[in-house]
Amino acid sequence: MPGDPSLSIIPRDPKFRGLRDYMISFFGLDRPQWEQFVIYLQRLFTLDWGLSYQDHRPVADILLHDLGWTLLLVGTSTILTVLIGIAIGAYSAIRRGKPFDFVSTGIGIFLYGMPIFWLGLVLQSAFRKNSVFQGWIPWWPALPTSGYYDDRLIPWNWDILHVADAFLHLLLPALTLSLGTLAGISLVMRNSLIDVMTEDFVTTARAKGLSPRQVLRRHILPNGMPPMVSLIALDIAFILGGAYQVEVIFRYQGIGFRTIEAIGSLDYPLLQFIIVIGGAAVVIANLLADFLLLWLDPRIKIS
Amino acid sequence: MGTVEVVKVGGVISPFRARAIVVGRRMQDIGLQVFHNKTAMAGLIILIFFTVLAVAAPLIAPYGPLSAVPDVGPLTLPAPGHPFGTNQFGYDIYSQVIWGTQISLLVGVLAAAVASVIGTAVGLVSGFVGGWIDEVIMRFNDVVLSIPWLVLMIVIAARLNYLDLVGIILVIGLTGWSVTARVVRSQVLSLKERMFVERGRMIGSSNTHILLRHIFPNAFPLIFANTILTVAVSILSESVLAFLNLSVKSNVSWGRIIAEAYQHDALTIGMAEWLIVPGLCIVFLVFGFYLFGYALDEILNPRLRRR
Repeated sequence: MPGDPSLSIIPRDPKFRGLRDYMISFFGLDRPQWEQFVIYLQRLFTLDWGLSYQDHRPVADILLHDLGWTLLLVGTSTILTVLIGIAIGAYSAIRRGKPFDFVSTGIGIFLYGMPIFWLGLVLQSAFRKNSVFQGWIPWWPALPTSGYYDDRLIPWNWDILHVADAFLHLLLPALTLSLGTLAGISLVMRNSLIDVMTEDFVTTARAKGLSPRQVLRRHILPNGMPPMVSLIALDIAFILGGAYQVEVIFRYQGIGFRTIEAIGSLDYPLLQFIIVIGGAAVVIANLLADFLLLWLDPRIKIS
Repeated sequence: MGTVEVVKVGGVISPFRARAIVVGRRMQDIGLQVFHNKTAMAGLIILIFFTVLAVAAPLIAPYGPLSAVPDVGPLTLPAPGHPFGTNQFGYDIYSQVIWGTQISLLVGVLAAAVASVIGTAVGLVSGFVGGWIDEVIMRFNDVVLSIPWLVLMIVIAARLNYLDLVGIILVIGLTGWSVTARVVRSQVLSLKERMFVERGRMIGSSNTHILLRHIFPNAFPLIFANTILTVAVSILSESVLAFLNLSVKSNVSWGRIIAEAYQHDALTIGMAEWLIVPGLCIVFLVFGFYLFGYALDEILNPRLRRR
């Protein structure tokens, strides 16, 4: 990856010397590195995020398109993960030490240690056309394993056909990402609730004759949720990392897929902006989490 | 942890001897709890299995990691003698998986050690000194935490172009210390309010002495449990980098075997083991570290104990 990007854009031929010199000065590569960095920072704040070396289009245009698909993928799977993870976590906290808790925690830790790219590969091979399973089970479904939607449907239209096809293409990547991140959420939820369940006020609530359901809804959940919110927000960086792997495996051409491409083609401006976006996503997620906490937990005050 | 009574054996014992007794008793206590904890033992057994596999690889593996098998050509299906078949260069995949254990374990453990040493140092200083130094370090830590780690690692790994074993360990270690720093810092914040620190101050101990002889030893068990968990994360990181072809090029690791299986469409050509087995190895090794780490955390962290 280190190297002179101009060499990968322009053929190595003496007759292109002039063009190469022009490109180098056009992208400001002839200045010292610190100066390039200062210029980059300056432009960052004026919303001028540079041109891609490869496409010669503004990086923001390229990434805005990718970002939409990544957000669809990450959004769908995060919502799925959070809902299912919280349900499983809460149920195994109530059943602490019972078979359900034992099994779900075991499976959870097992999934937690699974490399997401490998899980994606396995699911991809299991659900592709003519997969091994189809020989054994006649009704085993085949799902699309790459792209946003079928190539024959290009260009994109907002009609039922396209949306349905995009949904089908989303299934496997979203499932992979959800399975890969589900365990983190459910395990933390379980531990957070168990922490709350040892508090005295839970014993008091039980002692005054509330049903287990009431104790859970009125006393345990309201106190167990706030830590979850900030943890999910912190997890965004981790989920993004998973999304990168999923996008590469399923050729789902979002931000992650673009990153790998940009590394291959030495497209520094694109790469720089991808990192800026990643950082911004985490900061925004944490900010939203703080607002949510403010609303969820009356004890928190803005100082 | 309980109270430990120091028994005087015949007259006055030296403070060093007393300390050795206290530490020894505590280690024994922890060891006993690990032994009686089913989760910890399950994790430990998995870890021992893979460690033996890694150390004894030269004895167990029938062929070298990167040497062509004499009797059959490239891409042969699993058969007796080559249980998982051979890859595109005619290397025995079964042997490669065994040799791969070495790299995954080595990179995982050493990268976690690097991350833990840095994280512990940062956390100790930040938590103990406090004030504006703490503020600066923690804000910097927030910045590191807010960059998606995988992107950071991919960019650094790709930037370094040629990565040897030390390089990959440093890349993973240097990007993985911020969580440890947070954990250690919060532990130090609670420890430094404890009575023994005040007593230390009263008899005129220096800050360095208090930090190194009182706070660090008390935080150490938690740091150790945290390191075990970091090993698991590091192994996963290495496999991702290897899969993206950004890890060590001169050695075989599980991630690289998976990448090669993927590139040659192992499942379609009937070589499912090529893809599945190294993946399961990663899953089980990481599973072992998680089980052991979590159980250790539960034993050492009094807050998590069942009341």
